[in-house]
Amino acid sequence: MTSSKVSPFEQEIAKLIVQALKLNADPSTIRPEAALFGEGLGLDSIDALELSLAISQTYGYQLKSSDPEIKAMFSSLRALARAIEKNRTK
Amino acid sequence: MLHAPLIGLYRPDDVLAWEADGPRTASEFLSDVARLADLLPDRPAVLNLLSSRYEFLVGFSAAMVRGQVTLLPQSRAPQTLRRIAGDYDGSYCLTNPDEAVEGIESVMLPSRIGLVHWTAKIPQIPLSQVVAMAFTSGSTGQPTPNVKTWGALVSVARATGSRFDVKSGNPNGVVATVPHQHMFGLEASVMLPIQHGLTMHAGRPLFPEDIRDMLEEMPGTSLFVTTPLHLHACVTGAVKFPAVGMILSATSPLTRELARQAEQHFQAPVYEIFGFAEAGSVASRRTIETDEWQLLDGVVLAQEDPGWTVRANYLSCPVRFPDRISVSKQGTFHVLGRAEDQVNIAGHRASIGDLNQTLLELEGVQDGVFFLPDADEGSVTRLIAFVVAPGKTEDDIQQALRTRIDPVFLPRPLLLVARLPRNETGKLPREALLKLAEHHMGGSPHDV
Repeated sequence: MTSSKVSPFEQEIAKLIVQALKLNADPSTIRPEAALFGEGLGLDSIDALELSLAISQTYGYQLKSSDPEIKAMFSSLRALARAIEKNRTK
Repeated sequence: MLHAPLIGLYRPDDVLAWEADGPRTASEFLSDVARLADLLPDRPAVLNLLSSRYEFLVGFSAAMVRGQVTLLPQSRAPQTLRRIAGDYDGSYCLTNPDEAVEGIESVMLPSRIGLVHWTAKIPQIPLSQVVAMAFTSGSTGQPTPNVKTWGALVSVARATGSRFDVKSGNPNGVVATVPHQHMFGLEASVMLPIQHGLTMHAGRPLFPEDIRDMLEEMPGTSLFVTTPLHLHACVTGAVKFPAVGMILSATSPLTRELARQAEQHFQAPVYEIFGFAEAGSVASRRTIETDEWQLLDGVVLAQEDPGWTVRANYLSCPVRFPDRISVSKQGTFHVLGRAEDQVNIAGHRASIGDLNQTLLELEGVQDGVFFLPDADEGSVTRLIAFVVAPGKTEDDIQQALRTRIDPVFLPRPLLLVARLPRNETGKLPREALLKLAEHHMGGSPHDV
């Protein structure tokens, strides 16, 4: 069920993360199941805010902390891509 | 001995705080404080890590009633917390149930079941009582405590209130994105509302949608306490906000353009507060009108060699100003630049020297240096680190740093190099570091 194969949309989101947060990383090296915050990529709440801005500008999806899925959504590239795909308005 | 009441002018049924599940009246607050004060262990100091602003306030107040000092760490890195706890014999942590810190005794807040309502008396706290220690990263790499007396916190709250003509009902409440364990957050989002009879929102919104929801939840108009980072997100996104009474921004400089946009978005004046952990808030300005900072009542600047100090009758000794400033005849001041060695990232100050020291103490690190590239428009500029550590990976070093420094200072990126471009005196010229960054990242540092 969990596959390490990266879908084109996941690749697109990986690029968005690297660009929005100015990471010195090749987007293709972000593993889809690895943690984005804390241990994995090491992102913090400033990044969450900057990333939310990029997501709302690119896909018209406004993130919200009270959304019950928010924690799960920021858990990995795969979860984030899935949530954006489901909620995007553009 | 002189005293000041714990809270300002509230009637017993006035709403003091707005929690996730609804309002808390002033009398509920006083009984929550009395009950917790009875339950706290008999200790000198407490690390209050509670994430609800209201629960934090209950913990802070109960500690004051018991004569305990609240320790306000500059970061939540476990190593920092353990270091501070180790420095204060018998200190313990007040935490949420799922956030206990390994190696420090934790006390959980009791649930509110069986709450007794009664009109408790408002506690009177001696002005000279030391109620908090705000930690900053010191010159030795050790967290340095900054003593806060009840008198200092009350004086700053009153001076800020009188600067902006804050009184009960005008505005009605305070919504804040800043952490209440941070000095500006404690002053503007906790002390300011409770000293003026306002309703404080217990939440800490992050995204623009969260901010809108909390502003809408609050009865009446609110004062919005925030940072340039959140304001930038608010004016850039598509979220529509209700009008607020006023915005207070601090922790890093606000550009005039962003201030202008924020005034339009929120239909309210935007003021900036100038402060630092050692002295607390000292001055304010309306950003769209002037670059000059006007001192709060009771704050005086004195010239010393080198630089300036801040004096106030609630500060036990003069405090050195962290920035280079020029002072006008009228007593307003203008910031010329950061004092050398200081960096400020999203409101967190640190000394580069301390960060370098921490880096050099890591196992396997032979040489290393942090540096801040030139600022970029619209987003937070992060530190870069060059490290000489044969046999270690970038990940090894990031993991080791993560437990020792505030995450906002974690280098982005951390670059492993064979050696640093030290000149013949052993110094590292900024030019050489910029060039090295360019070489490693295939462009200027802020293009990556």
